[in-house]
Amino acid sequence: MFNLRLHLFLFIVFVNTNYLYSDISFGPNGKPDLNGVWQVMNRANYNLESHSASAAMQLVEGPIVPIPHPDILALGAVGSVPAGLSVVEGGEIPYKKNALKIRDENRKDWLNRDPEIKCYLPGIPRATYMPYAFQIFHSSEAVFFAYEYAGATRNIFFTDPGEAPVDSWMGQSWGYWEDNIFIIKSNGFNGQTWLDRSGNFHSDKLQVTEKYTLIDDHVMDYEATIEDDETFTRPWKIKMKLYRKLGDDAQLQQFKCVEFVEELIYGEWRAK
Amino acid sequence: MENGVQNKLLTFFLVSLSSTFFAEGYEKQTWFGDPNLQGVWTNASLTTLERPDYFETLEISEEAVLAAKKSSEKSIEEMDNPYEAGETPESGGDVGGYNAAWMDPGSEFLKLNGKYRSSIITYPENGKLPRRLTRWAIEGPFIYRMFTRADHPEERSLGERCVVGFGSSGGPPMLNVLYNNHYQIVQSPGYVMIMVEMNHDARIIRLDSEHNPDNMKPWLGDSVGWWEGQTLVVRTINHHPQQKFRAAIRHQILMMPGAEVIERFTRTSKNEILYQFEVNDKKAYRDIWKGEMPLRSTESKIYEYACHEGNYAMANILAGARAEEK
Repeated sequence: MFNLRLHLFLFIVFVNTNYLYSDISFGPNGKPDLNGVWQVMNRANYNLESHSASAAMQLVEGPIVPIPHPDILALGAVGSVPAGLSVVEGGEIPYKKNALKIRDENRKDWLNRDPEIKCYLPGIPRATYMPYAFQIFHSSEAVFFAYEYAGATRNIFFTDPGEAPVDSWMGQSWGYWEDNIFIIKSNGFNGQTWLDRSGNFHSDKLQVTEKYTLIDDHVMDYEATIEDDETFTRPWKIKMKLYRKLGDDAQLQQFKCVEFVEELIYGEWRAK
Repeated sequence: MENGVQNKLLTFFLVSLSSTFFAEGYEKQTWFGDPNLQGVWTNASLTTLERPDYFETLEISEEAVLAAKKSSEKSIEEMDNPYEAGETPESGGDVGGYNAAWMDPGSEFLKLNGKYRSSIITYPENGKLPRRLTRWAIEGPFIYRMFTRADHPEERSLGERCVVGFGSSGGPPMLNVLYNNHYQIVQSPGYVMIMVEMNHDARIIRLDSEHNPDNMKPWLGDSVGWWEGQTLVVRTINHHPQQKFRAAIRHQILMMPGAEVIERFTRTSKNEILYQFEVNDKKAYRDIWKGEMPLRSTESKIYEYACHEGNYAMANILAGARAEEK
């Protein structure tokens, strides 16, 4: 009798589990198939926290209201900022007092300080929610991310390689499956990347734990827990959806922006 | 059927299956059935693209290899120790670039079918590029400026600019250079991705796909591929116009935007992929040219190649040139 109940229980669990994941395709090793070209449809790269639309990422005092910094002015509406809701759990990033001051200084000096402006590698988690796609190559031997922005790349080890031998822009990542959720732990960052265009930042103590959960063949839940006790009072999370590109548009394009910023970075040293 | 017979059949099936897929210590097929090229590979080698004049044949003896290796070691020793004890560099002299600590060209000549090779080029048979001299003469002034002028960042080499790796490291064809000779291959349904260590470039090869429109000329060209048996064949066209001259210490090639490159990747063992290529560029060469080399598996982990982010050299090269003009 006990055996019969146990079998019935296992059968129900099996049926329910399959029902839960019935909308997703399974790939290597029977795990959800993460292969594809993905992109967010949100405003997190402008600001992880909620924000109204504004005239520019960097404003200066105007006669009546703040106006765009002179270096952005010529872009007009193209240089303005669309509104967005917070992707931070609880709404606000829990900065330490001194770190918050740095964030505000970053924001005031965005044109000089945001690494994205100089086409520097984006780091994690920012690479995920930039307004560019990324492609996941998911096989039984490797999981590899190729990002359109700056041609950034990221290999995910399947076992913990231990302490990163050297700090880097994209960090060192290793991942594992918990049921049908792919979890990636990253550290070894050099502390020079930002979290968005609004000056949100971290130190080289950053550790990121990401969760990728396929909820149907075209949508993934993305969650990242950010730990950095030099910058924040506690670990905090961001959550958002990732969407799979379909049809002819599902091709990762190239955005190697290094050549686009040569005038900005080296222009003063050109021969006259 | 009796259980014993069933068990024997199951065992036979599993043994057959494993001998098909794991016979040589690696999974011969990916999870979706394509031949498996995945892993981290290196093409580091003392063998250069073109055959040096002191070798007469493609295949060379072990004695010749030993002599060439000794000569190479001597050159490195001299480069690392250019001054006698107590001697100092001349004021205003060339400070040089690298010493051996920065290099990782490999320590062996490439070997195929058990024979050492004197060049990567297999055709023409003399191991030399069949340069069309008129085209090279036209491009000459631009090439000269690349190494002698510092008026603008765009006229310096792509490696110095951190746009792509030096020479034809990212290819195609993917050629060995002085360092950062690693490649990681990952396959997914419809794609083969080759991450080129220098300059963290993901070559995404679309399988059984059309080329993109001709007005799109990406860095490393536009690559599509297909399988011919166990061999991945990749066709690349629409090379980026700024990538037409690929300069490295070990090779200098022209690749005009209209060039076509065909590459073939064949896994020959757990530890080796045979990499073959053919270049058809009538503007820069009198004839096609072909080459081959092994990609060897490595347990090495690839470090991040963040070049642009620390490119103090470019600002210093330009600023130095402006200072000299005063």
